[in-house]
Amino acid sequence: MAEPIVQIRELTKIYAQGEIQVTALDRISLDIAAGEFLALMGPSGSGKSTLLHIIAGVDRPTRGACLVQGVNVTRLNESELADWRNHNVGFIFQTFNLIPVLTAAENVELPLLLTRMGRAHRRRQVETALELVGLADRARHLPRQLSGGQEQRVAIARALVTDPALIVADEPTGNLDSHSAHEVLGVLQSLRQDAGKTIILVTHDPKAAAFGTRQIHLEKGELKE
Amino acid sequence: MALPLTYNYRNVLVRWRASLATVIGIALVVAVFVLVQSLAVGLEKSAGNTGDPRNLMIVRKGSTAESTSVVTIQQFQILRYWPQIARDESGQPLISADLLCLISQPRIDGTGEANVSVRGLTARGRALRPQVELMAGRWFAPGKREVAVSQKLARRFAHFHAGNAFRTGGHTLTVVGEFDGGNSAFDSEVWMDADEARSLFNREGYSSLLVRATSPEAGREIVARIEADQRLPLLAGPEVKYYGEQTATAGPIKLLGNFLAIAMSIGAVFAAMNTMYASVGSRTREIGALRVLGFRRRTILAAFIVEGALLAAVGGLLGCLLALPLHGVSTGALSLNSFSETVFEFRITPWLAAKGMIFAVVVGVFGSLLPAIRAARLPVITALKSA
Amino acid sequence: MTLATFILKNALRNQRRALLSISSVAVSLFLLVTLQVALRELTLPPASAGAELRVAVRNKISITTMLPARQRGVIEKIPGVAAVSPFTLFWGKFRNEEGLSFAQIAMDPTKLQSLFGEARMDAVSYTRFAATKDACVLGKITADKYHLNIGDLITLESTVFPGSLSFHIAGIYSGTPDDRNMLFRQDYLDESIGQPGYVGMWWLKVKSAADMAPVVKAINAGFENTSAEVRAESERNFQLSFMSMLGNIKTLIASLCAVVVFTLVLVSASTMSMAVRERFRELAILKALGFRRRELFAFILAESFGLAAAGAIVGIGGTWLLYSHTAALAVILALTTAAFFILAVRHVLRKEYLPLTIYLVSALILADWTAWFAAHPSVLAMTRGVFISFEVTPRIMGCTALVAALLGIVCAVAPALSVARMSVVNGLKTLD
Repeated sequence: MAEPIVQIRELTKIYAQGEIQVTALDRISLDIAAGEFLALMGPSGSGKSTLLHIIAGVDRPTRGACLVQGVNVTRLNESELADWRNHNVGFIFQTFNLIPVLTAAENVELPLLLTRMGRAHRRRQVETALELVGLADRARHLPRQLSGGQEQRVAIARALVTDPALIVADEPTGNLDSHSAHEVLGVLQSLRQDAGKTIILVTHDPKAAAFGTRQIHLEKGELKE
Repeated sequence: MALPLTYNYRNVLVRWRASLATVIGIALVVAVFVLVQSLAVGLEKSAGNTGDPRNLMIVRKGSTAESTSVVTIQQFQILRYWPQIARDESGQPLISADLLCLISQPRIDGTGEANVSVRGLTARGRALRPQVELMAGRWFAPGKREVAVSQKLARRFAHFHAGNAFRTGGHTLTVVGEFDGGNSAFDSEVWMDADEARSLFNREGYSSLLVRATSPEAGREIVARIEADQRLPLLAGPEVKYYGEQTATAGPIKLLGNFLAIAMSIGAVFAAMNTMYASVGSRTREIGALRVLGFRRRTILAAFIVEGALLAAVGGLLGCLLALPLHGVSTGALSLNSFSETVFEFRITPWLAAKGMIFAVVVGVFGSLLPAIRAARLPVITALKSA
Repeated sequence: MTLATFILKNALRNQRRALLSISSVAVSLFLLVTLQVALRELTLPPASAGAELRVAVRNKISITTMLPARQRGVIEKIPGVAAVSPFTLFWGKFRNEEGLSFAQIAMDPTKLQSLFGEARMDAVSYTRFAATKDACVLGKITADKYHLNIGDLITLESTVFPGSLSFHIAGIYSGTPDDRNMLFRQDYLDESIGQPGYVGMWWLKVKSAADMAPVVKAINAGFENTSAEVRAESERNFQLSFMSMLGNIKTLIASLCAVVVFTLVLVSASTMSMAVRERFRELAILKALGFRRRELFAFILAESFGLAAAGAIVGIGGTWLLYSHTAALAVILALTTAAFFILAVRHVLRKEYLPLTIYLVSALILADWTAWFAAHPSVLAMTRGVFISFEVTPRIMGCTALVAALLGIVCAVAPALSVARMSVVNGLKTLD
């Protein structure tokens, strides 16, 4: 079997909340294979978002290592992490987090501004990404002119546009009605099937988790498969 | 790479209601600054614009103003036929002996009396001052109690228009003409015949002499000769230099302008800070998203500072526009040099407007500095989770 | 927790915003008070004790035209006149300074005490002044400024008379509103470089208030149709006419005040609205809990008023300190500077560079201001002699406090309206 795209070893995250020490993650070890659609499930406070953040290079663990495509992201400094995230991870949030003053196309273009791509090349990438999520005709719309489901799909396009190997989604359907949720999850599924992306989905909804190829449960910072 | 400018200016537009107060606040600060400084500029321009570079002004040594200087008739006679003095077409030396006096006259708007400068000129006096043009009526005739008044002055005082007469020193003077001083100190004067003035104000001698030298070289010779001659307690210098230095009033005006600007801009900085903090506060998730996408802290910092500067620049522009209508408007103030009412214009130069804009941008940058730092330092996770 | 503490806690919840709002109000009110005080100084001549009985006489042509000395005889004979003295301005430069920082006036030394009774000086000095030809009497402010003492010799170069004159200081006076002037002898001037037979002005004292009007009238009439017509007026009117020479100043300052107030209201109102908008949810919860609209209004008003009041105390109090007790202000600033430095050091130890920089820069700025105030411990020094003092009168403080109160009310209006229209459900929904 090919090397797993994500290798987590003894990952621990403890943070201080006032005077109390909270253990969000307790010595987690996990392998994620390339092309998997992994659903991370668990009740609120179980640490699933924390784990996702560490994998995506948005947070640092207290102890342990996390290798993504062979790179130990826990060892990178701020600057390197920023660059690494830009090229290797696509992040999708529950609250979409699109920039309200930019159009859909401009929002999708944002990650590309950090690369050396020329304007024409960027435009092509954006078009491709928007087509992939079926919103090419909404390129010029502002987020407030889009429905919740459409906003999330723009967010997916933004996550895709740098062609990262890894896509992480933190409760992407939490703010959507069931029809849009279904649509969005379908898009994620097709990304895995057609484009070979690795998807990590955090959710508490079993119906959403069913879209994945594998499910993992977290409870109080510990893995329960 | 930096965030595109469209991001910044669209954010400014979108938050226009909240930003409006700050923009107007900065606009007012800039307008006040520009207007007060433009008074000083107008004063200096008027002073700098007075005089002909070929002329020399001769006053008594130690005097600080023409009105307190005394040049005797004998001194006038001595200097008159010096070879370095140019001649006019009829062969007469281009030298004028002037008498400067102050008279107290009522203002046209009823706000009381003010001192007005009266200049008595001898025959060549007008020829030496080509920048002054007759606009209405005629020039005064020698030997008559007639005067010509600057148009700008005529608008500010009662009885100063052509055809009027006014009283001073127990005598009546008739206004026979109005002139335009060419935006110089002469715009604040009343002109009449020098010898009539001497008899009217009971003066033995004159106040100053104005001469046209044949060449710059000759001019220097005149200055040196007067300096060396013990019998002549006089001081000669270029006419433009003399008037250029009559800008004592500009000092307090600039002081006032700077004080107001500093005080008001402190308030403006606080206002800008508040606006930017609110802006940052409502965009925490956006900032978090940008950081996740890979944008650096310093990019976020720069973006918010640019936004603050942009906001302030709009205010600065508005402020300059607010001040602009007053450009060229005439006003009068007590000159600390001549102790008389001096008429000059508000003058907003491009440089002054630029200063106003720079000032606005500095206020904007200072105001957005701390909020921008706050935005840049937001931990990514907190930003993502914030409600 | 009482309602009052609840309001207080709310207002201070966002400390930074509260601080910025208070500061911006304080600065604007400071400016407003300064403008009003300056205006008052410019337009209200200081009423000195003897002013009601003094008359100023100048040439009708203008104040710069001289009067014949023989007029004195005529004036002295007018019933009701107690004492007459010439008053001629010397316009002398001292120690090669650019401008004049004190006026020099030639007068009759024997009339000094009767004309200016409010001045306080040793009896000996009066005698010395009357006895020595080149004697002069100097105001305490000028004496202190140049470190001059009785017996010193000073030389002044006149810019209106040809040449210089030297004087011996016979006395130092104080107690008048303007303790800067130098008085010397008219006969000394006449004998040297002056214009014998001519004086600048006449100043006289009338015997009683009832004599004022008839004396003024008599003097004006007495020289009508002569070669030197005069304008005689009470000292007060004379000073007022000086003020009228300043012309547009009143309008200028009044407009500036209006602009400052307008900007202040605008900026503060918008800040206040921002604060309230952020707390809609909280206000909705209060409404759901049963608080009535008028109570919510009261909360908003109390907060808005409180901030304005705090700003007023700092701003108005600041001007009072600055202009009347500059030394005290310098001490306070020095203490604050020290405090900031200590805080800065604390952050060095913790290696927190941003707070360190902020405190350090603030400390440096404050240190600079403290030094400046210490070097210029009076309004006279601060304005380089333009103003002697700034009196922050209770009336001015009251007017400005009123502006602050109105500000507090006006700024509460917009938020109050929004709250009135808000429905509880919508308010609760503003949780994102």
